[in-house]
Amino acid sequence: MRVSSVRASLSSRLKPILPNQPLKFSNISSAPTPVKLQTPLFLNPADYRATLSDLKKWHLWARGLASSVGTKFLDLDNGPDSALLHRELNWLIEDSLQDPIALLSDNSDDSLVVPLRACLDDLYMLWKQRIEGRRPFQYLVGCEHWRDLVLSVQEGVLIPRPETELIVDFVSDVTKENEVLREGLWADLGTGSGALAVGIGRILGSCGGVIATDLSPVSVAVASYNVQRYSLQDRVAIKQGSWFEPLKDDEGKFAGIVSNPPYIPSEDIGRLQAEVGRHEPKLALDGGADGMDDLLHICNGAASMLRPGGFFALETNGEKQSNFLVDSIGSQSEGRFCDVKVASDFAGIKRFVTGYRAG
Amino acid sequence: MEGVMLQSFIIHPTTLSVTSFKPTKLLLSPRRLPSISLTFNQESPIYSLHHHRYTPFLSPPSYTTSTYFLLSIGSSATHPPAFLSGSKVLLAAPEVGVSTETSEWAMPDFYTLRRNVEVTSERVEEIRAAAGLKQLEEDLAKLEDAAVDSSLWDDRAKAQEILQDLTDVRDRMKLLNDFKAQIEDAETIVKLTEEMDSIDTGLLEEAVSIIKDLNKALDHFEFTQLLSGPYDKEGAVINITAGAGGTDAQDWADMLLRMYVRWAEKQKYKTKVVEKSLGDEAGIKSATIEVEGRYAYGYLSGEKGTHRIVRQSPFNAKGLRQTSFSGIEVMPLIPESMDVEIPEEDLEITFSRAGGKGGQNVNKVETAVRITHIPTGVTVRCTEERTQLANKIKALGRLKAKLLVIAEEQRASEIKQIRGDAVKAEWGQQIRNYVFHPYKLVKDVRTGYETSDITSVMDGELDLFIKSYLKYKYSTSVSNNQE
Repeated sequence: MRVSSVRASLSSRLKPILPNQPLKFSNISSAPTPVKLQTPLFLNPADYRATLSDLKKWHLWARGLASSVGTKFLDLDNGPDSALLHRELNWLIEDSLQDPIALLSDNSDDSLVVPLRACLDDLYMLWKQRIEGRRPFQYLVGCEHWRDLVLSVQEGVLIPRPETELIVDFVSDVTKENEVLREGLWADLGTGSGALAVGIGRILGSCGGVIATDLSPVSVAVASYNVQRYSLQDRVAIKQGSWFEPLKDDEGKFAGIVSNPPYIPSEDIGRLQAEVGRHEPKLALDGGADGMDDLLHICNGAASMLRPGGFFALETNGEKQSNFLVDSIGSQSEGRFCDVKVASDFAGIKRFVTGYRAG
Repeated sequence: MEGVMLQSFIIHPTTLSVTSFKPTKLLLSPRRLPSISLTFNQESPIYSLHHHRYTPFLSPPSYTTSTYFLLSIGSSATHPPAFLSGSKVLLAAPEVGVSTETSEWAMPDFYTLRRNVEVTSERVEEIRAAAGLKQLEEDLAKLEDAAVDSSLWDDRAKAQEILQDLTDVRDRMKLLNDFKAQIEDAETIVKLTEEMDSIDTGLLEEAVSIIKDLNKALDHFEFTQLLSGPYDKEGAVINITAGAGGTDAQDWADMLLRMYVRWAEKQKYKTKVVEKSLGDEAGIKSATIEVEGRYAYGYLSGEKGTHRIVRQSPFNAKGLRQTSFSGIEVMPLIPESMDVEIPEEDLEITFSRAGGKGGQNVNKVETAVRITHIPTGVTVRCTEERTQLANKIKALGRLKAKLLVIAEEQRASEIKQIRGDAVKAEWGQQIRNYVFHPYKLVKDVRTGYETSDITSVMDGELDLFIKSYLKYKYSTSVSNNQE
């Protein structure tokens, strides 16, 4: 009974999303600036050509550049070392060539003309940006491989981190045995590229759905594109707005809430790894003085947004924030949550806080 | 070319006596290589008849055809010998008029036939001996006794097993006896012709056809014997790891990588270098190649071990003689559908860490996953995929493959039964020496097979090494069974 009523109301909420077109945001007052979507490199048609010998020249140059880094970035700000950069270079080749084997095996005919997804000059430029400008690899190729997904990303959108993949696992675990959660309505707050929304959208039951929100128009556009790429338009809706604001209509109805909100303390922002600090959106990183502003806001809101028995999972900056969050839930929202736990990421850092709305 | 022809005559096939029981002795002289002529072919790896037996060992394989052509001209001015029809050898030499002018049999043709009957006869004897015919006869007697035992059906499963074994042994013996019967038919025709004054073309044609079919059947039999391991049909994953010794060893690992990629390309296998960790100055610390194609694992499994190089170091100003090692590990490329269960508690999975505070603070494509099978200590690491999840799936597949191979080596029926203490060091014993200086020689320490054409070997000409190893492995397994 409950499940079908959720479904009925869900379809009206999940309005069709039309990415690739300038999105119209009816629910914001300021005039929207049209967002130009960047197509991931690997999805571009291989319309460019280069001879294998020219390509090999580029490859040699790029390898040399990567090797010259050594552990310089690592020592400076925990950036990538040469080994990682070489791996990235291979992936750049994978994404820009139709047949990467030709370049990577050393016995092909050098006069061979190879189809490319970007022109050779751009490949030079991209790799220069990577090494000299510390531009993140994912912005170079316009995508990030995350779980079993390949998500489009571009400047202005936080690149989803491997740690966050675990949140999908948590949701997968709790929905496996619980039909109400599996077939219910979920929220992803500050969705960025839409990683969590897409990941969760794919594991929910046929009646389940996700509404994801983000303040940034670029994020909304990119997330909508990713939703469309995985054909999830009828179960994942992307809405622009701050945290719960676009979700007011469904207060108290959510089966689950997930979020990877900005949690880096403001004073740390200036010392971040160059790829992060210089290139990724501050909006998605800076969590205020102690980094807890948004986490606390979401925790407070979750109590009223979740239905009884609803689940939540939040990512934090580590042990200090996780413990603080658990304590504050215990003292301020007494009785409203239960089974609140801290979970570690693969590096053993206490990264997540999960729990249920008391029934 | 002259030299080639001359050599082919010197190694007269009838002088060859090959017995598979003493492979090491046999292989001491490279000219007495056992005649396994495998054609590596991705689509249908049935090996066709090359008659490598006559091919001078030192001549590159490309001479094989010419050698034959010259041979046949030498024996018959106009016709290539009919007995070779259909064999790969003649594909390069057009069969001028063979089909219509078969009525005239010149004496040289007859001698050729007679020689081939002799050679094939030896081959039949060799195969019958290698297949352990005596053992089979004993097995058959035992199984027949068991099958008529009144208590047979007390244990239904066991009864079925016995009856299945009985069928297998009978089929095998029938096959081996058919070989014998066919060669005897051909021998009879040869004898008859010798006793008669005239030549009966029809009879001789029949002998030619018997020999041709018989050789095909023998080829097939040998092939199935050599590549009958449970995973031989699968693709392969090759891991190359540079041994201790810095840049020299890392350069050596790179040379091996190239050698295997070239070999695989020659077999028309699809290869993918899925992981490559570059050396500090030159070469590679390690690399992983996936080789897709039927029987890739069967051919490559014998490459597992330590490969040793002796050369003047190109990285040393003095050009001192330098010995380096690299390890090769080979696993089958197990299809995902193959279900192998490993209990989760037996696995220790480590994900690489980006370092520092992680999460939003760091952006590194650090996706490596390492899995250790706790009971055996077998470890795999996977870095090539772009997510940890994908690397974990891949690493788990490789771990399973590795454990299956170990289980097979230990003759354990499942992974649970692997004796952890018996799992040998990652890449085990030294199997091959590559000497670049002071002389040129590649020698397999197991089979004794060797060549001085080190350039071709490094260019992927590994077939003869692979064949001789397969043959060696087969003969030793047969003689072990008989002991």
